[in-house]
Amino acid sequence: MTTLIFVLLAGLAVGSAIALVVQRNPLYSAISLIGVFIALAGLYLTLAAPFLAAIQIIVYAGAIMVLVVFVIMLLNVEDAEHQPLRLGYLTAVAILLAAVLFGEAGFILYFMGNSPLEPLDPNMAGNPSNVGLTSSIGTGLFTTYLLPFEITSVLLLMAIVGAMTLARRVGLRPTDVAVPGSMVVPRHSIDPQAVGDATEVETSTTDEARRALGLANAPRRPEE
Amino acid sequence: MDWSTLTYVGLKMLGINIAFVVVLMIVAYTVLAERRILALIQGRLGPNRVGYGGILQPFADLLKFIFKEEIVPDKATKFVYFLAPMIAIVGALMTIIVYPFGPEMNLPFVGVVKLVVAQFDVGLLYVLAITSIGVYGIALAGWSSNNKYSLMGGLRASAQLISYELSLGLALVGTVLLSGTLDLYQIVEQQTGYWWIGGVVPIPRWNIFPQALGFIIYLISAIAETNRVPFDLPEAETELVAGFHTEYSALKFALFFMAEYVNMFTVSMLAATLFFGGWNFPWLDLLVARGGFLFGLLSVVAFLAKVLFFLFLYIWLRGTLPRFRFDQLMNFGWKFLLPVAILNVVLTATVAFAIIYFRG
Repeated sequence: MTTLIFVLLAGLAVGSAIALVVQRNPLYSAISLIGVFIALAGLYLTLAAPFLAAIQIIVYAGAIMVLVVFVIMLLNVEDAEHQPLRLGYLTAVAILLAAVLFGEAGFILYFMGNSPLEPLDPNMAGNPSNVGLTSSIGTGLFTTYLLPFEITSVLLLMAIVGAMTLARRVGLRPTDVAVPGSMVVPRHSIDPQAVGDATEVETSTTDEARRALGLANAPRRPEE
Repeated sequence: MDWSTLTYVGLKMLGINIAFVVVLMIVAYTVLAERRILALIQGRLGPNRVGYGGILQPFADLLKFIFKEEIVPDKATKFVYFLAPMIAIVGALMTIIVYPFGPEMNLPFVGVVKLVVAQFDVGLLYVLAITSIGVYGIALAGWSSNNKYSLMGGLRASAQLISYELSLGLALVGTVLLSGTLDLYQIVEQQTGYWWIGGVVPIPRWNIFPQALGFIIYLISAIAETNRVPFDLPEAETELVAGFHTEYSALKFALFFMAEYVNMFTVSMLAATLFFGGWNFPWLDLLVARGGFLFGLLSVVAFLAKVLFFLFLYIWLRGTLPRFRFDQLMNFGWKFLLPVAILNVVLTATVAFAIIYFRG
């Protein structure tokens, strides 16, 4: 029974992974990736790690992939389907790497088959493990592994702050058009050179913004 | 497989079937109740022709859904177009199995059974996981229909769902902190009994009393999660025709419709389970002996009564409130609800820690 479930889930995982690479439509690839995540969550369940399985679905399938699907829907990319394949030498590299992977898997299977399986701790043999349960994971995260856990949190926070910094419009390039009728803004938000200069600059038209920034003679955009 | 395994599997199958049939019947009649109660609120009569007082209306609707023509848009992405309603309904139905409908009960021929289909360590996380999968049904339906209204509805729905999922999850953390488990059956069992205020006045040991703030946050985000008034922007008929299911007809539309009502039902079940003591009813054990058949039956009735109250609340809100604007929705979710939910978590954790610390 366990073997049957494993084969089903592993087949779903591998099949979805192949579909993920083969599909030309980005949304189909995203759906295949969700399939991979769900199959992996099922595999975690068979390995007696229900917490990990639930978190796998909540975080990866439920949050990250929703954002990916959201972006694909928002951009509505369809043209990629009709473009010619531009892989080139990557195909050869992929075949080589796949050969290495299969060799590795075969190596492990060969030596696993030839060595007897031993339980790690003779006292634990036959006892149901509680390693994958919620309370033991929580205890581990907040006692033994507190420092790595906090460092990871800070790392994620840095990523969020970095993304916000990159996404924000920090400055007005000389070729940009200031929004006419906009308000009084601090100078550093429209001039990338004046970091920390909070002098108020009033820009009610594009030309005023240019004059305020001293860019009146800068080259304009071609369409103006 | 030996005999005991087969009996076990058979019993579970039976339990799943009973749970699904009961829930789907209640859902069918929720639709009728919604139409009748809305009519009452708006001073109309509502559907009252099919059967006595409209009692057979859900079946008439179902027959109509089955016999309507299936229209598939020419430019639709066929595979995803058919996949989306399936994801929606499966995601809605899958969560039913973890809810405890009643206490341990002595049934004839079967013995003592717990009235819950599956009881496992991560019950609450399972509910959240399946709920987050349900988003794809709506998002993919909007995308695959190849219709501007559908796409806008799908985009709005996924933005709204991922925004309010956060405050929903955080609102539940408070009760989990108090209970110390994610297993819904154990959470309900811990709400059995009473608190004695000043040693004299008994109140039921329900999580709503220490977690009133968490409950309000949960209720608001749950309404947003199920796309109901006043958060029904994904299907705002004045702007988007019908939102993500504009291009769906016949039984595929019925699946979305059912998914929405099943979601309402499961969200109400979660509210009753986590905050209102599940099947616990105060002073019921004084009336009938605990553990007996009658006690179990009355407990199930108490649980369903709590759930039906929340369903009534949904309908009541729909008859009362106007719709939000989209920027109001986002501002409310991110700038008000989420900070309050985090505040609730911090407060609950502090108080729980203080109680454990001072009691030793």
